[in-house]
Amino acid sequence: MIMIAKDKFNKLFINKIFIRIFWMAIFMLIWEMIYLSHSFSPLILPSLGTILKSMYSNLLSGELIKETLYSLNLIFKGLGIGIIISITLASLSFVSKLFEGLVETLTAIAHPLPGIALLPLIILWLGATPHAIVFIIIHSVVWPLALNTYSGFKSIPKVYRQIGENYELSILQIIYHILIPASLPYFLTGLKIGWARAWRALISAEMIFGATGENGGLGWFIFKRRVFMDTPGIFAGLIVIVLIGILVENLVIVNLEKLTIRKWGMSI
Amino acid sequence: MTKIFQGKYKAILLIFLYFLYFSSLLMGCSHKNEEKVTERLRIAEQYGLAYAPLQIMKTNKILEKNLPSIEISWQQVSNTTAIREAMLSNKIDAGFMAIPPFLIGLDKGMEWKIASGLSYSPTKLITNKNNIKSLKDFTKEDKIALPQPGSVQHILLSMACEKELGDSHKLDNLILTLSHPDAMNSLLSGNGVTAHFASPPYIGEELKDDKMHLVLDGRNVMEGDFTFIVGVTTKELYTKNPKVYYGFVKSISEAIDFINKNTEKSAEILAPLYNLSKEETYKLLTAEGNKYNTKVEGLEKFSQFMLKNKYISKNYTLKEVLWNDNDSKR
Repeated sequence: MIMIAKDKFNKLFINKIFIRIFWMAIFMLIWEMIYLSHSFSPLILPSLGTILKSMYSNLLSGELIKETLYSLNLIFKGLGIGIIISITLASLSFVSKLFEGLVETLTAIAHPLPGIALLPLIILWLGATPHAIVFIIIHSVVWPLALNTYSGFKSIPKVYRQIGENYELSILQIIYHILIPASLPYFLTGLKIGWARAWRALISAEMIFGATGENGGLGWFIFKRRVFMDTPGIFAGLIVIVLIGILVENLVIVNLEKLTIRKWGMSI
Repeated sequence: MTKIFQGKYKAILLIFLYFLYFSSLLMGCSHKNEEKVTERLRIAEQYGLAYAPLQIMKTNKILEKNLPSIEISWQQVSNTTAIREAMLSNKIDAGFMAIPPFLIGLDKGMEWKIASGLSYSPTKLITNKNNIKSLKDFTKEDKIALPQPGSVQHILLSMACEKELGDSHKLDNLILTLSHPDAMNSLLSGNGVTAHFASPPYIGEELKDDKMHLVLDGRNVMEGDFTFIVGVTTKELYTKNPKVYYGFVKSISEAIDFINKNTEKSAEILAPLYNLSKEETYKLLTAEGNKYNTKVEGLEKFSQFMLKNKYISKNYTLKEVLWNDNDSKR
């Protein structure tokens, strides 16, 4: 009996979610203790209670949800276009050596540039519209994704392509049926990187940018809270950013991996 | 002797040395802090016509005269929010800002109060679109540039919206946060923002262009004069360092006196700092609506409006936001 209980206890402890919740609880405890020790002004470190209250009231007023949906809308638009452009660039590089050189040069120049650094320039060219922000998202996504996808293409054993040629598939069919599925691990890595860069670039751009029309997104939400000294509100916004990051990285992308590359035995 | 430098002894020796080194650093740290609290004045420095007395204070070394043996340091800060944060993290003792951001901070628990008024300044909403003659002509496609939400420009705009459109938040979604130079460039370029709530010298620069015209004057919104910039200090400075505090207030008053009595000489001092000619600077200093005074006017009006529109949670009278009532009544 004791052995079974011990075994169950061990299994519970090792369960990943439980471990995460455990550490989160410890973190929240430390936070609250620091708050209660009054070593910092509540304007710098508010209590968990006020933060949760602020989250609740912002959710209720609909503002937090509205701004979050606005941000998500922008980033998925950018991601979608970015994915299409990346696959196109990778495919063209694969087919033509001249184009490969072009893409490599562009990547060398553009990849190190943070989207935020480009923002003032983009505003001058595209005006202060959501298009400017979507452009920055695309810029953050395309370079790592195209790079990774192209690496993926290059790593595919030649035999696969030759099989495709045996079947007399056109180059587009080869790309769709063979290259993309075979390079999916690389693609998904690139997607993870691209998503992370794009999400950060989006939030920072929104902070600098301001409201474009009705909404300004999560970054603008946090900026407004900062200006009005609503520190609990700032934390509420940050929590939402973290939650979305976790959701996308751990739910969407991991499940994508499970459905494709893990099922096919391409990676663990 | 040589055994000390071998193997595990070496490790112990090293750890001991590091420990000595770090503890001496820490000792130095806390010692410095205690000694410095009464001997320093850290001021947030900002540029612009409205802050002219500060530049005069610096150039004429007024603070050094009134507070000998006190360490004076000027720190560059970009905006009011940065001043708030620097005060919270105990990096500065005094800063200058407009009344609404001061009230917002006070309302949220900042332990600060007004030490003195600094300047009155004209502030106007200028547009580059011919068909916009008043606030109701703004459409969803237009953008209004101002320094930040919660700034005096934003509050003035909201006041005007309430008066003319019945809803103080009506134009909130048209706001774009831009610094004055960026906003001016965007306005003048023609394909950026459609309006800019400007201060001098940007007002003058913008109105030079024929395509620009005035939509709103801050003075009309407030129905009278109001103090644009006030000087604010932390509670610590007032309670723990009254000598330094009073020296500071006296210096502000002397700098303002100097500008008012020696306007030409002041223009000469300020011109290179603004990259303008002496004549242009003089014109700006003596322009209508631009004056320097230690009085604080208009606070109660701001407070009532901001309370009504939920920017702050309670009303503030002038008396309760001044450290010392007598200093600012002239």
